[in-house]
Amino acid sequence: MTTPLTLTTGRHPDGSLVLTAVGEIDMSNVDALTGALTEAVTRTGDEPLVVDLTAVEYLDSAGLAALYAHVERIRLVANPILAPVLTISGLAELTTVEGP
Amino acid sequence: MNDAVPRPLAPAVADVFAADHEIGADLAAVDWAATPLGPPDGWPQSLQTAVSILLSSRFSMWMAWGPELTFFCNAAYRRNTLGRKYPWALGRPASEVWAEIWDDIGPRIETVLTTGRATWDEALLLFLERSGYPEETYHTFSYSPLRDDDGALVGMLCVVSEETERVVGERRMTTLRDLGSDPSVIRTEEEMLAFAGRQLGRNLRDLPFTLTYLFQPDGSAALAAATGIPAGHPAAPATLPADAPDPVWPVAPPARGESRLVPLDGAPFTGLPAGHWPEPPHQALLVPLGRQGGSPYGFLVAALNRYRPLDDGYRGFVELTAAHVATGIASARSYRAQQRRAEELAELDRAKTAFFSNISHEFRTPLTLIMGPLEELRTRLDGADERVREELGVIHRNGLRLGKLVNTLLDFSRIEAGRMQARYEPVDLAAVTAELASVFRSAVERAGLAFEVDCPPLPEPVHIDRGMWEKVVLNLLSNALKFTFDGAVRVGLRAGDGQAIVTVADTGIGVPEHEMPRLFERFHRIENARSRSNEGSGIGLALVKEFVGLHGGTIGAESTLGEGTTFTIRLPFGTAHLPADALVPADTTATVSATADPFVQEVLRWLPSGAGSGEEPVPYAPGEPAPPGVAGDGRPAVPGTAARVLVADDNADMREYLTRLLRSAGHRVRAVTDGQAALEAARAEVPDLVVSDVMMPRLDGLRLVAALRADSRTVGTPVLLLSARAGQEASIEGLEAGADDYLVKPFSAAELLARVRANVELARLRNHHARWRTALVDSLQEAFFVCDEDGAVIEINSAFTEILGYGPEDLPYAPVHPWWPDRETQPEAHRRAAEGFALLLARPHGTYTIPVTHRDGHRLWVAAAFNRVEDPDTGRRVVVGTFRDVTADHYAVQRETALAALSLRLSRAESVADALAGVLAELRGLWQAKYALAAVFRPGSATPSVTATDAELRWESLSEERRRALAALRDLPLLTPRADRATGAGIALEHPDGTMVLAVDLGEQRPFTDQDQTLLALLAGHIGQGLHRVHQIDQQRETALALQRAILGPAQLPTGFAVRYEPATRPLKVGGDWYDTVELPDGRIGIVVGDCVGHGLRAATIMGQLRSACRALLLQDISPARTLMSLDRFAALLTGARCATVFCGVLDPASGHLRYCSAGHPPAIVAHPDGTTQLLDQGRSRPLAVRPGEQRHDAEYRVPARATVVLYTDGLVERRRQPLNAGIDRAVATVQSGRGAPIEELASDIMDRLTPPGGYDDDVALLLYRHPGPLELDFPAEATRLATVRAALRGWLDRCGLDPGTAQNVLVAAGEACANAIEHGHRDAPGGRIRLRAAATADDLHLTVRDSGRWKVPEPTTNTHRGRGLLLMRALMHEITITTDTAGTTVDMQARIAR
Repeated sequence: MTTPLTLTTGRHPDGSLVLTAVGEIDMSNVDALTGALTEAVTRTGDEPLVVDLTAVEYLDSAGLAALYAHVERIRLVANPILAPVLTISGLAELTTVEGP
Repeated sequence: MNDAVPRPLAPAVADVFAADHEIGADLAAVDWAATPLGPPDGWPQSLQTAVSILLSSRFSMWMAWGPELTFFCNAAYRRNTLGRKYPWALGRPASEVWAEIWDDIGPRIETVLTTGRATWDEALLLFLERSGYPEETYHTFSYSPLRDDDGALVGMLCVVSEETERVVGERRMTTLRDLGSDPSVIRTEEEMLAFAGRQLGRNLRDLPFTLTYLFQPDGSAALAAATGIPAGHPAAPATLPADAPDPVWPVAPPARGESRLVPLDGAPFTGLPAGHWPEPPHQALLVPLGRQGGSPYGFLVAALNRYRPLDDGYRGFVELTAAHVATGIASARSYRAQQRRAEELAELDRAKTAFFSNISHEFRTPLTLIMGPLEELRTRLDGADERVREELGVIHRNGLRLGKLVNTLLDFSRIEAGRMQARYEPVDLAAVTAELASVFRSAVERAGLAFEVDCPPLPEPVHIDRGMWEKVVLNLLSNALKFTFDGAVRVGLRAGDGQAIVTVADTGIGVPEHEMPRLFERFHRIENARSRSNEGSGIGLALVKEFVGLHGGTIGAESTLGEGTTFTIRLPFGTAHLPADALVPADTTATVSATADPFVQEVLRWLPSGAGSGEEPVPYAPGEPAPPGVAGDGRPAVPGTAARVLVADDNADMREYLTRLLRSAGHRVRAVTDGQAALEAARAEVPDLVVSDVMMPRLDGLRLVAALRADSRTVGTPVLLLSARAGQEASIEGLEAGADDYLVKPFSAAELLARVRANVELARLRNHHARWRTALVDSLQEAFFVCDEDGAVIEINSAFTEILGYGPEDLPYAPVHPWWPDRETQPEAHRRAAEGFALLLARPHGTYTIPVTHRDGHRLWVAAAFNRVEDPDTGRRVVVGTFRDVTADHYAVQRETALAALSLRLSRAESVADALAGVLAELRGLWQAKYALAAVFRPGSATPSVTATDAELRWESLSEERRRALAALRDLPLLTPRADRATGAGIALEHPDGTMVLAVDLGEQRPFTDQDQTLLALLAGHIGQGLHRVHQIDQQRETALALQRAILGPAQLPTGFAVRYEPATRPLKVGGDWYDTVELPDGRIGIVVGDCVGHGLRAATIMGQLRSACRALLLQDISPARTLMSLDRFAALLTGARCATVFCGVLDPASGHLRYCSAGHPPAIVAHPDGTTQLLDQGRSRPLAVRPGEQRHDAEYRVPARATVVLYTDGLVERRRQPLNAGIDRAVATVQSGRGAPIEELASDIMDRLTPPGGYDDDVALLLYRHPGPLELDFPAEATRLATVRAALRGWLDRCGLDPGTAQNVLVAAGEACANAIEHGHRDAPGGRIRLRAAATADDLHLTVRDSGRWKVPEPTTNTHRGRGLLLMRALMHEITITTDTAGTTVDMQARIAR
């Protein structure tokens, strides 16, 4: 069984592009995240992509690596439960992390 | 709740009392208006609420409210405690309801009401009058304050549980266990009763006093033990007659095996001791002390606790107590009987030997006094008529015969006592034997038989003791003659096999085949055999056998009935088989001694022509009538002046002349050829006068005089010197030397005879006193000696020689005396002898007991007494002493000591091997042997197994001779000791595995006396019994242990559990403790820890049955309480299962929910992660089967996350003379401090730290559970598995009670470790597996992720996401170790948990 993950790309009311992930992210499904990120980043142009991880319960180093690949172009929205991972990996310093 | 239709109540009242309709109805019926509380509709809300809570609770409760503390209670309290006081008590002041215990509880209630703080009392003793009498009860209760609507303290609520059954049950069990805990294996009846008394005396609650009466042979009963009652109390008479009309205690019912309940009122029972109680008992139970298969030993009077009913439990307790006492008596009596039998046998043996020795001596004295005068008489009546001479001949011959018999008996007693003094000299055996045979020739020929003596010379000499050898040959010859009527008697001699073989064959009547085995047995006579004489003691052949044995030889016999008998003696050449100190050089002058005469005389009497008249070779040949004209002075040699004269001269003519001359004067003369021979002859038998030449070879006359004067026995013997040298100087020289007279050759016959006569008369006058003294000293039974100032022994008597083997011929004996034990080989004995000697020289008088060595080497103990005196003749200071042989006493003491030491060894041994090692050490020490060994010959095994004090010793390392000797011992009858100088002493006895030979090697040819043999036999008997007993204990323990291991606990424990079982240290303390876990179909787990009463195989068996039953019941999915209730019924049917204690619980490992119930078991301990602890002491009631059928109740508990639950049996916490609570507190502290350790480690730690010094007295079962149990996952190394693993881990972390943040951290770290394993470990080797294990302690988590691949630890700086993964793990966990080996990689992670 692959780890459950749904990825949806949509627009915020303010018009910015949002990639919303729901579920868990690990090495078994990180390719889907990478694909969705790459696709969304190309669509967003100069604007930063908002990656909404509020409903992500688990994120490991594979997921972090996928996010790192686009670190200059994304803004993260995450649940406090992911805070230690994002802080330790340094991602929180390189990009904006907001609470939900 | 009840579903009956409630009775109509007033509306307000109905509200208040609605919670319980029955109690409520009775409460409603109370006239509340008459109480300070007023009618219920006016009660404050707080009171209404309190009443409602009270009534709806199922816990036993009562409350008091208002100024008078008005009493309320609920249904449970009514049932459990209030009894007959209901419903009277409702609405009354509490002080009235509980007037009898108000002194106890009043102050507590007062405290609650003044301070507002709750009280707590555990197992408080209260005397309740709820059943019509003051009853001993125990309650655990708390009083909590109650407040009114304004918050003021107005009352109190009491929650109470009754624990009477538990407290009383535990107390009785303690007494029973103590009774059964006697550490020694065997003891006397008195000691056993004293021990039991001490135990009973410690429980004056259940047994205010006890009396133990034992039945006497006349049917009466005697008081043997008492507890709690002073001696001499009218209720404790020392004896109870069998048939008294109105005895204090009835004797008849217990004698029939019946119990009796006796009311204690009336005369003898006034002023009875009350035991632990305020009032004396008013009933006593008489219980017989049952004997297996027989009438009772006696009975136990147990005064009964008046504050408890005599129910089944109480009665059972008293009966078990009596059974314990009866068992103790049984084993003490059986031990005593065995002991007494062994002692009697040893005593009998010793007495027999002493009797022989004494009686033989007693015969000798009168015999000597008969034979001496008889010889005189025969000499003087030589010329009397034929009839007188014939009658004298008859007396003489019979005297000789009697003497021979007495000497034979004495020989035997010497052999028995190890005092036979053999002197082995090399002889030409052919010549000696032929000469001995020749003595019999005329007798044999007179009997009409042919006598063939075929004794060709042998190639080498044979060492024999002449005296013994004469008796051997003469006995065999007289035996042959006695039973042979036609044909021949043949004596043959030849060499063969390195031995001299002597045969004595006859053509006599032969010996029947069935008699052959007993031929050499002492006092055995073949009945109805045709023989020449009916006389005989049946001792001759036995003596022959003993003598041949002393020579290191053997004797055998072959016989055919009607054809004859051949005796064959084999004697080894050389001296190796003989003790070195008994060897003497050849004496060429010896001839057949006087021994032969009695034999020949006796034989001749059997023959038809009968009256034997052999020559008598007596030392002093009698005188003859003087030829006329020779008796110089013309006076006849009248009786009285005839003397024994010793003549010493080297000139044969002179010797013959002197002999003839003196004989003619009526003197008895012995002539010798030099001074040395004269000295020896004089010492052997003191003559009346010595006539000696001066010039002689070896020892001249002057030196002979000096030597005779130096010897106390001959100091007064007159000496007449004859010399060819004339002159004054010569005579002065002679007289100065101490001669009495001097005669110069040539001298006339008349002059010589006159001088002889004068000297003899003078000496007789002078010596009268000295001879009297000598006779007196010689007649002493005790050894007598005189020492000079330097301690040299200068005079001894015959008893001295008899005891020590040292004769007067070697006097004086200068210190160090030759009988002192050897300084080198026996330093301790030597030291004692030296101490005794020092005392002798230093003190004017005294006594001492010392070890000495007989001349033949055997050990003696003598008790000596001495006095310092002045010699009246010489004025010198001398020491006069006597001593007697106390060897027998010494050995009797030694025997006792050895037995006691051995018993101790045996009772302490834990195994047969252990016992054997102890026994051997004891034996070696006892005999100071080189070593002691035990060889066990197992049936079917070629080589025996050897245990020895010398650990190096093996069967293979023993000499061939030794091995043969041991094998021979095995084939002897059991418990028959055998000793020989070459191989030491040994004995065979029964060993649990076969026949065991015990042997001690004394080394150095030390003798092993009959005393030693008796002792060895006695000890061996004891050892056999002891080993058997140890073996039984050993086996029972083995079996019980095996059984226990087989039935203890499941092979596979559910996760989260740890268990331990430890048998007690002392022998046979395998017990009835157990633990068990049962995995139920729904995933819950049944937990059982139990403890059966008693120890040993029986307890273990009962344990197995209870365990199986409990397991089966739990599998039926019923609650713990119902399980225990079913177990109650089962245990009631199972002998010995009563009073077992059990903790039974059902645990849901997912939630930690525990439902449990305890049958009198010690409470479980729970240690919370924060360090608080608690005891699971709810749901507790009586032990199993105490009241089968009565309800038990479950308690519920939720085991908090990471808490540790510990179940145990009382062996873990119980210590002598310490309250149980102290032990439980210790256990609680240990669990608390170890709550952070892994559970297995904690289990070991508990067992170690609670071990009392010297090990556990009782067995211990221990069961630990920590919630939740570890998580163990094993999954394929595939990325798709990660989500499932995470879900499982998340659930487990949740059960661990972690906060979400910490849980998430652990989850990520574990996820990274798993991802690493998948990505690196198994990228190139698909199909591998990963194992994840997670375990919690109180304050940390421990995770292990293990794969079967090998991966390098990536550098965190390389910015790959794997490197980042490791970084995450390190950051999220407190400790990480990664180890890689050939089998794979393991990641260990630890996270601390914040409290």
